[in-house]
Amino acid sequence: MKSTRTQLLAPAVLAVAALTLVTGCSESNSGSSGPVSITVAGMPNNQQPELLNNFNRNISDFTKANPEVKVVGDEAVFDVRTFQALLAGGKLPTVFYVPFTEMQGLIARKQIADITSAIGADSMVSRINPSVMKVVKDSSDHVYGVPIQAYSMGLLYNRDLFKKAGLDPDKPPTTWDEVRADAKVIQSATGVQGFGSMTKDNTGGWVLTTMSYANGGTIESADGKNATVDNDATRKVLEFYRSLRWEDNTFGSNFLIGYNDAMKAFAGGKIGMFVQGADAYTTLVSNMGMKPDDFGLAPLPQAAQGLGALGGGTVAIINPRASAAEVKAAIKWLEFVNLRKYGSEPEAVADAKAKVADKQPLGAPALPLFDQATTDRYLGWVKDYINVPRQNYAGYFATAQTLALVPEPPTKAQETYGALDAVVQAVLTRRDADIDALLKDAQRKVQAIIAAS
Amino acid sequence: MHEAVPSRRSRGLISWVRRGGLSTLVFFLPVLLSFGLFSWWPILRSLPLSVQRTNFLTTDWVGLDNFTRVLADPLLLTATLNTLWFALLALVFGFPVPVILAVFIAELRRTRGLASALVYLPVIFPPVVAVLLWKAFFDPSPTGVLNTILGWAGLGPLSWLNDGDLAMISIVLQATWASFGTATIIYLATLMGVQTELYDAAETDGAIALRRFWHVTLPQMRGVLLVMMLLQLIGTFQVFTEPYIMTNGGPEDRTVTILMLIYRYAFVSGDYGRATALSLLLAIALSGLSWIYLWATKRWSTS
Repeated sequence: MKSTRTQLLAPAVLAVAALTLVTGCSESNSGSSGPVSITVAGMPNNQQPELLNNFNRNISDFTKANPEVKVVGDEAVFDVRTFQALLAGGKLPTVFYVPFTEMQGLIARKQIADITSAIGADSMVSRINPSVMKVVKDSSDHVYGVPIQAYSMGLLYNRDLFKKAGLDPDKPPTTWDEVRADAKVIQSATGVQGFGSMTKDNTGGWVLTTMSYANGGTIESADGKNATVDNDATRKVLEFYRSLRWEDNTFGSNFLIGYNDAMKAFAGGKIGMFVQGADAYTTLVSNMGMKPDDFGLAPLPQAAQGLGALGGGTVAIINPRASAAEVKAAIKWLEFVNLRKYGSEPEAVADAKAKVADKQPLGAPALPLFDQATTDRYLGWVKDYINVPRQNYAGYFATAQTLALVPEPPTKAQETYGALDAVVQAVLTRRDADIDALLKDAQRKVQAIIAAS
Repeated sequence: MHEAVPSRRSRGLISWVRRGGLSTLVFFLPVLLSFGLFSWWPILRSLPLSVQRTNFLTTDWVGLDNFTRVLADPLLLTATLNTLWFALLALVFGFPVPVILAVFIAELRRTRGLASALVYLPVIFPPVVAVLLWKAFFDPSPTGVLNTILGWAGLGPLSWLNDGDLAMISIVLQATWASFGTATIIYLATLMGVQTELYDAAETDGAIALRRFWHVTLPQMRGVLLVMMLLQLIGTFQVFTEPYIMTNGGPEDRTVTILMLIYRYAFVSGDYGRATALSLLLAIALSGLSWIYLWATKRWSTS
């Protein structure tokens, strides 16, 4: 019997092994004054030969201008599940790209390099739009990254469905009441659900947050010390959801939808309108086969007291293990490869040519990284290569300069979004959901999340 | 005295080799290396990690802080109750199915091989594919696969995963479907080994089929049944893939499980200290459960 017992306990213990987490060994780079070697993410794969050529040409041009720096390309891309392993195993490239939403957590955990002192006053970086730069700074104005692309959340709509429903695709709704009315028209004319929203993997809370901003409320106080979930703007958004779901029945029937589910449904013409980042164009058109002319984008409708829209984008960060010399070389490189095109016509044209040759969109909806004059000058240089129907997003571009970019909740944004997912799911799956009680409960949970940080 | 020790030692070594110690070691080495490297060492490494806070650059010792933060998480109670609910549902619905199927298949003569193959078929699906397939079946719209079938009987449509009360039951349905094949095959093998003279004796006594099953078949399967039940319990307490893919905890946290919390701590929040602390708590709970289970069933299984 004794041996039977150990045999039985062995699988139990081994099963537990599956739960425990492995940490890799770490290595540290020592600072050196001689030649510097950096690894840089962003290398395109073989599927994009022209972009890869352009990337390699950039490396050789950069090395010619900076002979003391050796640059090695790396195809690694950000994934929340592998980032920690890359860092722990010492495999994180010197220059790496992460989404806006990750910055706050990375800064809080001190997992990226503080590059404040490495950015010169004459650098292109110091000319980046200040409201975009806010994303890469901590509360004491230290800089932890360089934004290379930015967008704001907007109202995405299917222009083809608008046409089929007899709506004017060039006149998207500008208020939430109009969104509701148009959703009804789309639903009754085409049978396709008029409105939709992501609801799981923290995306439900993400969208609820940006819609609360548009209605004049926040989720956390500006200093990140207090939860402010239980507010009238958020209540209004949830009431809006409730009306579309239970009164109009224009919200579909599945409310466990993540980012990819919603994108696929929208690309396939199964959702009329939804709130999403304006950068979705590239994924929808290049990867999911949506027709460029079907993609509609309007600025996020703002209530009278609306605060603006949540922003998103890509940030270049630097490995926290990099030596001072490596940080310096890395910043030089990331400016060279990402920002130079905004100041040099030949660079802008070469980059545009490669993108178009590899069937990547050029001129896709985005927020200007710099002031409008710099952006207009760049667009003038590449105007012959633009392959995106930008006239369709005139409304979005028109407000891009004036609509305020509101930052994410300052403390534990992802966990906060997770707590809000449950609220959104409750309103959409239960007809009798008590919005006041849900907000009170979420307020308590978010406060607990802040307290535990 | 000084000389005697090494000579005794070398004599011991020689007799150890003579008794086949070397070949034992050679056969044991692959196990030692693979489990040591990929299981035991990570387990040991997780012990210090649970009392540390690390960002993989600098590490601080924080005492029991990680455990305090785990226990303070309002989702922990929800996740524990959800996991227990899943384990219970899986035990009630999932455990008897393969036993009954195995008994039926064992009664077959010519088609036994075909029946076993058919029963085992769902196991061939890669788990993620099977879960995605069922996620599509559970489409809450009236045109979804399961709702269409219900519609033929004039029932539904049900919201399946979108219904807080039904979500976990739907997940158990999928998990049972995906795993009953393996269990059935194991029970079938056990049944093939049942001593047939006992059946003959029972038949001579005029025992009906149900009594035969109760008094002859079940007692002989007892050992295997107990092991399978323990393995299932341990497995269900670690449920992750199915709810992660189908609902990621929704709706309203009704399908958040303990392992999902561990995953979120580690991979969404980058908080490995908290994740290992909860892993350890679960490991302790499961070891305790296994020990109690074996102690409680010891007498019955050896009789």
